[in-house]
Amino acid sequence: MRRANVISGVILVIFGLVMLAVVIPMQINPGPDGMMSPRLVPGMMMGVVIALSLLLVINNIRAKATADDSVAPISRGEIRALVTIGVIFGAAILLYLLVSPLAAGAVIVIGALLALGERRPLVLIAMPTGLLTAIWFLFYKVLGTGIV
Amino acid sequence: MYTITKRGLLHFVAAGLLGAVGFGHTALAADYPTGPITMLVGYGAGGQTDLVARATAKVMAGELGVPINVVNKPGAGGAVAARDIAKAKPDGYTMLFHSNSVINSAPFIMEQVNYTPEDFEYAGMITAYQVGMATQKDRPFNTITEYVDWAKKNPGSSYGALSPEARLYITEIAKQNGLDVNIVPLKSGSEMINALLGNQVALAFSGGIHYRYPDELKTVSALTTFRHTSAPDVPTIEEEGYPLGMDSRTTLILPKGTPRPILDRLAGALKAAETDAEFAKITEAANIPIKYFGVDAANKEMRDSYAKNKGIMQRAGLISN
Amino acid sequence: MSDLLIGFQDVLHPATLIWVAVGVTLGYVLGALPGLGKATGVAVCIPLTFYLGPVAALGMLIGIAKGSAAGSAVSAILLNTPGEPSSAPTALDGYPLARQGKAQKALKMGLFASVIGDFVSTLVLICLAAPLARYALLIGPVEICTILLFSLTFIGGLSGNSMTKGLIAGAMGVFFATIGLESETFVSRMTFGLLELEDGIALVPMAIGMLAVAEMAVQAGNVKVLDSEGARITDGASRNDRVVLASEWRRCLPVIARGTLIGSVVGILPGLGASVGSFLSYGATRKASKTPEKYGTGMIEGVAAAESADNAVVPSSLIPLFALGIPGSVIAAILIAAFILHGLTPGPLMFQQQPRLVADVYAAMLCASVILLIVGYTGQRLFAQVIKAPLRLIIPGVLLLCTVGAYMETSSVFSIYVMLFFTVIGFFARKLDFSFVTFLIGFVIGPNLELSFRQSLQLLDHNAMNLSKHPIAVVFILLTVAIVWWIGRGKGPAAGERHASAGQTPEKHVPTNS
Repeated sequence: MRRANVISGVILVIFGLVMLAVVIPMQINPGPDGMMSPRLVPGMMMGVVIALSLLLVINNIRAKATADDSVAPISRGEIRALVTIGVIFGAAILLYLLVSPLAAGAVIVIGALLALGERRPLVLIAMPTGLLTAIWFLFYKVLGTGIV
Repeated sequence: MYTITKRGLLHFVAAGLLGAVGFGHTALAADYPTGPITMLVGYGAGGQTDLVARATAKVMAGELGVPINVVNKPGAGGAVAARDIAKAKPDGYTMLFHSNSVINSAPFIMEQVNYTPEDFEYAGMITAYQVGMATQKDRPFNTITEYVDWAKKNPGSSYGALSPEARLYITEIAKQNGLDVNIVPLKSGSEMINALLGNQVALAFSGGIHYRYPDELKTVSALTTFRHTSAPDVPTIEEEGYPLGMDSRTTLILPKGTPRPILDRLAGALKAAETDAEFAKITEAANIPIKYFGVDAANKEMRDSYAKNKGIMQRAGLISN
Repeated sequence: MSDLLIGFQDVLHPATLIWVAVGVTLGYVLGALPGLGKATGVAVCIPLTFYLGPVAALGMLIGIAKGSAAGSAVSAILLNTPGEPSSAPTALDGYPLARQGKAQKALKMGLFASVIGDFVSTLVLICLAAPLARYALLIGPVEICTILLFSLTFIGGLSGNSMTKGLIAGAMGVFFATIGLESETFVSRMTFGLLELEDGIALVPMAIGMLAVAEMAVQAGNVKVLDSEGARITDGASRNDRVVLASEWRRCLPVIARGTLIGSVVGILPGLGASVGSFLSYGATRKASKTPEKYGTGMIEGVAAAESADNAVVPSSLIPLFALGIPGSVIAAILIAAFILHGLTPGPLMFQQQPRLVADVYAAMLCASVILLIVGYTGQRLFAQVIKAPLRLIIPGVLLLCTVGAYMETSSVFSIYVMLFFTVIGFFARKLDFSFVTFLIGFVIGPNLELSFRQSLQLLDHNAMNLSKHPIAVVFILLTVAIVWWIGRGKGPAAGERHASAGQTPEKHVPTNS
């Protein structure tokens, strides 16, 4: 955890500096006189983040090594899962924009089932069909609204 | 399914084939509508505009004989929904029910919005917003003129503002009369009511919901070009010598290029709401006056109000061009 | 009182009662499904209210509100995916309990706490609506500003094992909440030219991504371990793990009483919101406990504290609506539309003009509490079976529901982008032990604090001496100073580095494999 703390602290300091020096001045107009500047609160928060992250980095560098230092806080499996979910949603959004919401919904369910190791054809067909029928019924029949 | 809009690449193709598409629609327009219509609302579910939209959709669905699906698409005061409508297929199956302020005043206020009335078609208007200034019943002023006198004697009084327009009104009045008023920012209509009932502010800009509290609140000025149905004795701001009346009305907005027969068909269905008993019951309870405009009247109103609001904003220095 | 009796006669009519029951059941099921919740329930009920009579419509709406507040505990406890921010504290201790095989116990405690909080708060509404609402009006922006400052300091001081990281997360929450149009200067902040960001980042998709989808990603990464564990623990080996024991009742009753009180007060005050209630209650319970370090590992009191406050907020947020006609919550705003639809104007006049309708609504609310107990008790046996289903079947369904839930409020794919963005943030926050609870608190309270501070500046005419006219505000400033001093002296539970953490996923059973 110590190494992770140092790394995330450094990343947060960089994030804060970028926000403070580039994004806030570029993305927030100074605002009229006589009112609190709209830049004040975001700027203040980034100041807090930078200060505390520096504290986090310094404290963790100075701290004594402990037993759990060698264990990485995020496992490869978890990173793989996050990337997989990202890919599934990426495909679903593409389908939503180009084909239809229905195809997008089906891809989310089937993609996730396959990624998690489900191979039974019955499940792969029945689950998306059931869920999407229920959602269609909710939107178009119960709510009288649509998915556009 | 008609409600599925084609996006992205398909838009390009559709734009390229504009002539052909237009031609196809005149043929289609004869038996319009044949399938469900999607009605976007640019505010979240449960608000005033949403209420009127749903009541309108119900009447129109009965008239047209097809279901109308109401889809709430909130964002940037309706500008997100308007942007989507501008890009939708002009076939009459996707329309926006919204305050026309999204076209006749939002472009002057929001940097990222730059529509003109020419970018859309209008199938009519049905209700008007009773925008006004409200205060507590026991305040010693009943008009803007009396308020100005009172505010001169009470420097540092508070005014509740929930939109750039609200701020424009008080800064213009204060500038002309040399008033010292603190403008308290408010986030929503209910926060405005809270501030008035709790005596936090001496005057507030209201979109019309203060009429629900006839025992506690009164109207000081109608910020429209017409006197309010709910308070016919209160003068408009223009009658008091400030040419600042800005009207907003709920309007059926359609994509540019929607064929005229479809617009007329929709306007005909919308007219039925004008005399519908249930529609009247709902709007009456919400203090929303019905003021029906057909296609031509709505078009004229859009262009006139756009030009007028532009002049007001220019004089106030909100926009330069 | 006699009115209330007549009200019961009206409501106990099968045609009305059935709609109340439909509302409660619908709300409970929607709340229990991860990703769906109040927002969905509200969307469902608006079209329906067009067709129902006033009492049935209002009863159903209130039923949905109560049901979804209680139901959201189910997904929080069983899957660690709170559908709404207000049940995030429930998951902190509820999920560890479920992993220990005590799912049914946690679900029961959550339900009982919900029903008690709900029922008592409804009684508060009935007895005290009119007088309390008058006092609530005395709470203006100046007072709200100091109350928010106090809440933020109090909850922040209790955050997690690493104070530094908790505060960083909180500051980030405030920072992300500043995106969008600022309400005083009307300056757009960090919208990068995107119209969708003008209104800021919407809470629902953000919370779904951060709380539910991120958790699903973590669980998907540990699917084998969690499944083999799930098979081993199964459900309730002994009866003691399935029911709430008398000793636990004794420990939890004062907690529930405090949660109900906090929830009711938070509900009445304008602009605080449901999440603040459950966070405050959880924080206060931890602070009062003799063993604060055990929270986050499966303390039944944590579930009781969060759920009682979460549900107590619902009826009491109707107090400003009934007594003054001011909506105090989303549900209350929808109720106004429903009232108007039926030709009624909510507010003080309602009591004089429509005493019978008011009595009917009160009776419907009390009935809804009882129905909630029945529906919840039956339902949770079914829902508890979820824990036996393998994760590879649960995760795809949850992902789809989350997508639908995020999409629904704005009907826009942009909400899905927001959800995915915060999935990534939530994932790393979880694994690196940055409390996402303090992030949420910052996100919810931050903007209100900024706005009420701006309002106060104007109302006080830019002169601090005018504070003397606001004694309530002065009290809260003093309380805030006291809290800061107390934390600073190191007596606070957050002092020092501890292992139990608010906001840390209880990942202790999952060995990391690298």
